[in-house]
Amino acid sequence: MTAVQIDSVTKQFGKTVAVDDLSLGVPEGSVYGFIGPNGSGKTTTLRMIMNILYPDRGTIHVFGEALHGACTNRIGYMPEERGLYKKMKVRELLQFYGGLKQNGDVRSAVERWLHHLDLDEWADKKIETLSKGMSQKVQFIATVVSNPELVILDEPFTGLDPVNTDVIRDAVLGLQARGTTVIFSTHDMGMAEKMCDFIFMIFKGRKVLDGTLASIQDTFGSDTIRVRCVEGGQALSAVPGVEKVTDFGQLQELRIREGADPDRILADVMGRTRLTSFEIAKPSLHDIFVRIAGPDAERASDA
Amino acid sequence: MRKILRVAQREYKAIVKTKGFILGLILAPVVMGGSAIGMAFFRDRVDTSDKRIAVIDRSGVIGDVLRRAAQSRNETEVVDAESGKKTKPAYLIELVAPAEDWTQQLLELSNRVRRGALHAVLEIGADVIHPRQASAGAGARYYAENPAIDEVRQWIERPLNTELRRLRLMDAGVDPTIVPDLFDWMTPQGLGLVSLDPETGEVTGAERRTELQALLLPLVPVMLMLLMIMMGASPLLQAVTEEKSQRIAEVMLGCVRPFEFMMGKLLGGVGVSLTAASVYLVGGILTVRYLGYGEYIPYDIVPWFLAYMIAAVLMFGALGAALGSACNDATEAQSMVFPSILPVLIPMFVLMPIVMNPNSAFATGMSLFPLFTPLLMLLRQGVPGGVPAWQPWVGLIGVILTLILLVWAGGRIFRVGILMQGTPPKFANLVRWALRG
Repeated sequence: MTAVQIDSVTKQFGKTVAVDDLSLGVPEGSVYGFIGPNGSGKTTTLRMIMNILYPDRGTIHVFGEALHGACTNRIGYMPEERGLYKKMKVRELLQFYGGLKQNGDVRSAVERWLHHLDLDEWADKKIETLSKGMSQKVQFIATVVSNPELVILDEPFTGLDPVNTDVIRDAVLGLQARGTTVIFSTHDMGMAEKMCDFIFMIFKGRKVLDGTLASIQDTFGSDTIRVRCVEGGQALSAVPGVEKVTDFGQLQELRIREGADPDRILADVMGRTRLTSFEIAKPSLHDIFVRIAGPDAERASDA
Repeated sequence: MRKILRVAQREYKAIVKTKGFILGLILAPVVMGGSAIGMAFFRDRVDTSDKRIAVIDRSGVIGDVLRRAAQSRNETEVVDAESGKKTKPAYLIELVAPAEDWTQQLLELSNRVRRGALHAVLEIGADVIHPRQASAGAGARYYAENPAIDEVRQWIERPLNTELRRLRLMDAGVDPTIVPDLFDWMTPQGLGLVSLDPETGEVTGAERRTELQALLLPLVPVMLMLLMIMMGASPLLQAVTEEKSQRIAEVMLGCVRPFEFMMGKLLGGVGVSLTAASVYLVGGILTVRYLGYGEYIPYDIVPWFLAYMIAAVLMFGALGAALGSACNDATEAQSMVFPSILPVLIPMFVLMPIVMNPNSAFATGMSLFPLFTPLLMLLRQGVPGGVPAWQPWVGLIGVILTLILLVWAGGRIFRVGILMQGTPPKFANLVRWALRG
């Protein structure tokens, strides 16, 4: 069963089409990553799932029901822009948010989550005294404390240090293990690759990718050679059969032109410089993202 | 409803628990009471230095009378008999013989006033006794730095006119002592209407009506209502803008529907007003009774006060929340404050005409206009005699209908505005959001 079913949804703001004829099914219990450049329509889609914005056309069903506001109790939502009442104390605030969504006592859930995310000492402090990372953890607890069946997180890892990133990631995976469906948007392609069962990419309001990482990579084939050159990227200019070279400093990625022979390219590269490692691989999500939304793609689509 | 109450509870606590609210609750009556005490205190702090008045009497018959009247006043009114303290200035009349060059004389005397040697100059015309028969020079002129508001000039009127009347009677051959009360002035005493006591069947005596009842009593509930609106409804505008600019609104909208969010805030405001009103009503009634003025308390309008107050906070709160949701930052919200309080401000300009004529067509019409009803109908109800019984009910129905309309439109504007970034709060936008949702 799908947790979220989006069918032919379009949303316009004035003359700008923010989401264009989008259809998407999010399976229950999955972790679904939304990726796309800034302003591509991710947040608008998330807001429509939350029923904060209404689609101009098309329908959205959450757990099989058309949205009328009431079922938002089954969804936890963490917007991209963090907003908490600064004068409230952490515990008081979490009980307030939990109480909005859940009938009954949320106090034990609040205490459990505070302990889980190592915020016990800060429970009686005002929000305004917290660091950005701690505020973000409080916001995360506010989203999940009522034990929702669907959790929507808009850029949950932005601005977090590696330690807190791990804490939130583990918490998200813990939710999934308990059967919660998680949708999150991110610009961190590595995180999306590692965490998501499914990845959806939206670009200029239209769906351009949707599926598992493997199925997405399969559509691009094994068209990438990753090498580590002793002399760095400058040795790799104008290699026949290579469409593009991306130099990461310690690592270089060569995109193979369609029809070219990878073995011949490798032989050519080894003739130019000494390699410490090499592999023929599928393109990374980062590379796929750049191919779709990078400047080259922009120029191509404009032309 | 549970969510609305949750939001209301948070709003209520967020305001009531602040030091500002508690201080305001205490300070408002202290400031009001303090200013009344201050006025009473400073009223007695009059300038008691003597005032010298030069009198040029061209008639030759008035100057000496004024001098004697001033002397008599100085002996009886200037010093308090019990304490022996000087409480008022003495008036010293300096008779100045008219000079031939009267403009030069007036200039010199004016310069003495400027130097502070004189308070004023009084010039009495030659034909002052029979001004109707004279073509010019029959009046009395008073020259001073600030003649319009001058207690000496006001005092002079009585001895001047008393003597003129006496002289006119003498001229007509009537001895004024024959009719000593000829010019006694009669002011009708203000009384309420008599009524039939249903228990005894007797006609009860009319109550004496004072200026206190006529002016002060109707104004007190109106001022209290104004204070309650300011406490309960006005802060919503800036609070909503703050929640919008700090992105709290979107988190809230993930939990509650926009209408629930707004209604929660409105009910929180009502709670704040009810709390403050309870403190002021109970405290005020107890204080007034303790001071022995319990008979003046208009208990019959207390339920109306509460009904109008709840409606007013909801009405103006919805207006504030809608305007606040359309603003992007504190500066824009500041510019919206004036339009939002305009419906409260306009009644303040017409308080006096309505108190003077509470049942005029103007007063009735203004008080039946729903946005003004909470303040102006309450004002009219407080005036002795009250209003026809149907009017408060019609007013209340109008207020409730307007309140439903404003909350509905406010909710629609709020829903769109709260997520709209970068769009300035133009009137056309607000209308479009209200109509299209």
